[in-house]
Amino acid sequence: MTMSKLTRSVLYWLLLSPLVVVILFPFGVMFVTAVRPRDELFVYPPTWGFSDFRWENFSEMWVKTNFGGALMNSLYVSISATAIALLLSIPAAYAMSRYRFAGKGAYRIFLLMTQMMSPIVLVLGLFRLMMSLGLVNDLNSLVITYAAFNMAFTIWMLQSYFNSIPRDLEEAAWMDGASHLTSLVRIFLPLAVPAMVVTAIFTFINSWNEFVLALTMMRSSDDFTLPVQIYAQVAGRYQVEWHHVMAGTVLATVPVAIVFSWLQRYLIRGMALGAVK
Amino acid sequence: MSSVTIRGVKKKYGSMPVLHGIDLDIRDQEFVVLVGPSGCGKSTLLRMIAGLETVSSGDILIGDRVINDVPAKSRDIAMVFQNYALYPHMTVYENMSFSLRLRREAKEMIDRKVREAADILNLGKFLERSPRQLSGGQRQRVAMGRALVRDAQVFLFDEPLSNLDAKLRVVMRTEIKALHQRLKTTSVYVTHDQIEAMTMADRIVVMNAGRIEQIGTPLQLYDTPANLFVADFIGSPSMNVIRGVLGGDGDGAFVALPDGARLPVPGLASGRTGQQVVFGVRPEHTALAADHTGVAVEVEVVEPTGANIQVYTKLAATPFCAIFTERHDFQPGQTIRLHFPQDKIHLFDAETGQRL
Repeated sequence: MTMSKLTRSVLYWLLLSPLVVVILFPFGVMFVTAVRPRDELFVYPPTWGFSDFRWENFSEMWVKTNFGGALMNSLYVSISATAIALLLSIPAAYAMSRYRFAGKGAYRIFLLMTQMMSPIVLVLGLFRLMMSLGLVNDLNSLVITYAAFNMAFTIWMLQSYFNSIPRDLEEAAWMDGASHLTSLVRIFLPLAVPAMVVTAIFTFINSWNEFVLALTMMRSSDDFTLPVQIYAQVAGRYQVEWHHVMAGTVLATVPVAIVFSWLQRYLIRGMALGAVK
Repeated sequence: MSSVTIRGVKKKYGSMPVLHGIDLDIRDQEFVVLVGPSGCGKSTLLRMIAGLETVSSGDILIGDRVINDVPAKSRDIAMVFQNYALYPHMTVYENMSFSLRLRREAKEMIDRKVREAADILNLGKFLERSPRQLSGGQRQRVAMGRALVRDAQVFLFDEPLSNLDAKLRVVMRTEIKALHQRLKTTSVYVTHDQIEAMTMADRIVVMNAGRIEQIGTPLQLYDTPANLFVADFIGSPSMNVIRGVLGGDGDGAFVALPDGARLPVPGLASGRTGQQVVFGVRPEHTALAADHTGVAVEVEVVEPTGANIQVYTKLAATPFCAIFTERHDFQPGQTIRLHFPQDKIHLFDAETGQRL
């Protein structure tokens, strides 16, 4: 017996709904808190409704919490880390994909092993390292560490995609008179764009959300990235302006979530292409 | 255009030898086909000429220049790949003009050459399309066009027709041959399909397990195969081969089969009485014998193809195929008598496999 399409859809949505609720609930609370007037923050029993829809919360928060500065810091760190990670992993992944050399298998395993180590284990060591390099309180310390932490993943990801690009294409380019560099730039890399987009998204989001290292390395509030800046609105305060905290969180997460969901078609294509072959 | 000379070329992957010393002279304007079963080293040899594999020892020359250490891009060789290797992000026009653009040729010159090649290959309508919008045969033509625009000294083909369906393969085979007759560029063509080799080649190089078994024109290989491998490889269906013992009496030389039957053979050649030999005759060289002459066999399967009739039987317990161009109404179970014209018989040493 076959169910009608409608029945099936309803059934599947019912099955999915607990998950949807769990995922959306915090976002709901976040949003509702962000737009309500300050004196309605702690009503009991809690309600979803509010008397006044206050967009002004966002502009107040922007000024009061130095949101713009933190946003710029976050953008600088995430974009630079992504660029460096990609620039360094493309040649590494290319070498892993195209050349045979001693210890290649061991290197791949090594990359995988580094992923098993939590960054928090390394925080102390990294802090001392950055101290000795004079990079504490310098956003570049985050750029370097984020790029480094993400490279194992990006190399792994790029390599499996590179493997799926036929070697014949480069060979054909060489026969056509192209040098290795020319064939790389004009034939290989244009074909690897989906993989590069995917890895860039991942690296960007990882860097954007990272908290522990940013909290450790950045001592002055001028250098805080968004997660630390928002945290600073909560931790160690006599009075927490929850509506501002939530407005900041909305601004820090929603745009990224939108970009991410728009780019996910590349993500799925890139992953499948890398995985199947 | 130029000759290609291969002198004592060997190839090893680690300690695994793949080619055991290849010597081959490909003359200017010649169309040479390297043929052999998969894994025989023919593609490796082609890729070494192209510069895509290193040479372990020996020399490869184009004209009289040793090119062992010349990178692929400077060898002035064009190559057509098995899977076409068209650049997927470029249009047909861009694919074909890529090599010329790399050389920074003048725009008008590039345009003229691409359009010329497109005319020859009937690609005029497709120049602005991308490769994925083309059929297999059209992609194949683009791959050829990419080689054509170059005016390269040598063309290399690496099983270019193996991804096409049977009918298109026959068409493209003729097109490539016609193209060669027109351009006369020295060409080396790799295939595992002996029909392709026979129909296209000026000379065929039969390879097996990293060695050359025989070099010759298609008909030389067909008429006088140097050994059992070539005899079996060239011709379709394959040559019938039956083991026996060479003998002779007052009526002349014969091969005694295990079941006692005697097949007359022309002279002893370089064989001696009592020698273990392999008797070979091509299916198309068998004829029906008059009553009480020839050897009797029982028809097992009859396959009419229209052009001829293929009859499968057993001779001395060995599978045996006979092809008749005349129409006969054979029935399975029927006994027929076969006769083998003396000048169509091949004898090989059973031990070495070499022709006697």
